[in-house]
Amino acid sequence: MDRHFDEELQKVKKDLLEMISLVEEAITKSLEALKKQDIKMASEIQEIDHQIDKFEIAIEEQCIELIARHQPVGADLRFLIGVIKMNNDLERMGDHAVNIASYVAYLIEQPRIKPVSNIWSMAREVKEMLNDSVKSFMDNDAARAQKVCERDSVVDEMRDETIRILLTYMLEEPETIGSAIPLLLVAKNLERIADLSTNICEDVIYIAQARVIKHHAEERELGSY
Amino acid sequence: MIIKIANLNLYYDKFQALKNVNLSIKENLITGIIGPSGCGKSTLLRVFNRMNDLIKNVKITGSILIDEKDIYSPVYDLILLRKNVGMVFQRPNAFPISIFDNVAYGPRVWGINDKKTLIEIVERSLAAVDLFDSIKDRLKDSALSLSAEKQQRLCIARLLAVEPQILLMDEPCSALDPIATGKIEELMLELKKKYTIIIVTHNMQQAARVADEVGFMLLGELIEFNSVKKIFTNPSDERTFGYISGRFG
Repeated sequence: MDRHFDEELQKVKKDLLEMISLVEEAITKSLEALKKQDIKMASEIQEIDHQIDKFEIAIEEQCIELIARHQPVGADLRFLIGVIKMNNDLERMGDHAVNIASYVAYLIEQPRIKPVSNIWSMAREVKEMLNDSVKSFMDNDAARAQKVCERDSVVDEMRDETIRILLTYMLEEPETIGSAIPLLLVAKNLERIADLSTNICEDVIYIAQARVIKHHAEERELGSY
Repeated sequence: MIIKIANLNLYYDKFQALKNVNLSIKENLITGIIGPSGCGKSTLLRVFNRMNDLIKNVKITGSILIDEKDIYSPVYDLILLRKNVGMVFQRPNAFPISIFDNVAYGPRVWGINDKKTLIEIVERSLAAVDLFDSIKDRLKDSALSLSAEKQQRLCIARLLAVEPQILLMDEPCSALDPIATGKIEELMLELKKKYTIIIVTHNMQQAARVADEVGFMLLGELIEFNSVKKIFTNPSDERTFGYISGRFG
């Protein structure tokens, strides 16, 4: 006979994975809308975000109820605490997708700017990071999660490079400021999505191995000896 | 609604053990009754199958309806009530006869003597409590040779053999270790698909784990009756919060 509690934990995981697929859809669609300058597609992101928000509330309630009723310990406790934190990070990712989509209508009315291919490379890298963080959660794979965390600095460098390119455009042709600033904000939002993917991976490592790696906690502990 | 209690008062001589209890119990749910020792929870449980009738000088006022019929009405069939509302006690009370005869006991009382039918009932009842596979070759052995957990399962199978509608459980795990307790709790969650279960427990975490709705009793009063989620995350009454948080009781 399976433990009913295990079934309830699986239900939480299933709901979180459904929420993740909505977050991935929102991010992919917002970037596509940006690339194609498609206002209709951009307007669809808001509805996806509403669904993400509903999942966030439902998952949080499930976790609180399970903690209150079952007093989980060990891996079960770490799983529920990890899910509560991931849930919050995923909801924020949905908000960043909404932000990206919101720049589409504004950009259409601005003068065209030279292509900034860096943004699309960055978008690719960010989507891959999110995809790998999701896989690490699904497989409880701390090693994969660790690798995702290490890629965060790559995205930070891409963001800095994008800012440099856009600043150069603005200095050379001030009339491009109206187009460049939204793209700067897109870069900023993508970088935040990468940060949140890193947070998810830190939670996966905590769930799988009970290790806290955020803020380089382990290195600090070793350094104190 | 399977059970409806209105304005229930119960007195042991001059001592009032239940005070104006109003309660509705829904079908196919596990209803937990929690509260400190002496709060009246076991007394309330014994109202549902009129076990209190066996105690001298008990006086009951108010109404207790099961399927809209007043079980305290003089014309209500008490034998049928006890068949319909089975009870599991704190300590397993297997009879000192074979495992088979324990389960067949109730059906025989009800006039079933056909061997094939009895075998079918015994096998079905033992399977329902997840016991049949592990003891199918030992059905002639004494029931007392089983572990405490298996004896408790056997007692539940003995109830199921007469096809009750409601199962009353009075601290059913208090004599069991944590592993056996976990197994009985899993069994309860399976059984609620077919039966309505009311459990009295001093172990409020057990009520939190298995119950769908929970009543908190104090000094004979039903202080709060709510969904398990509400009781354990946001109880309406400060006394409920005080008890579940361990501040008193």
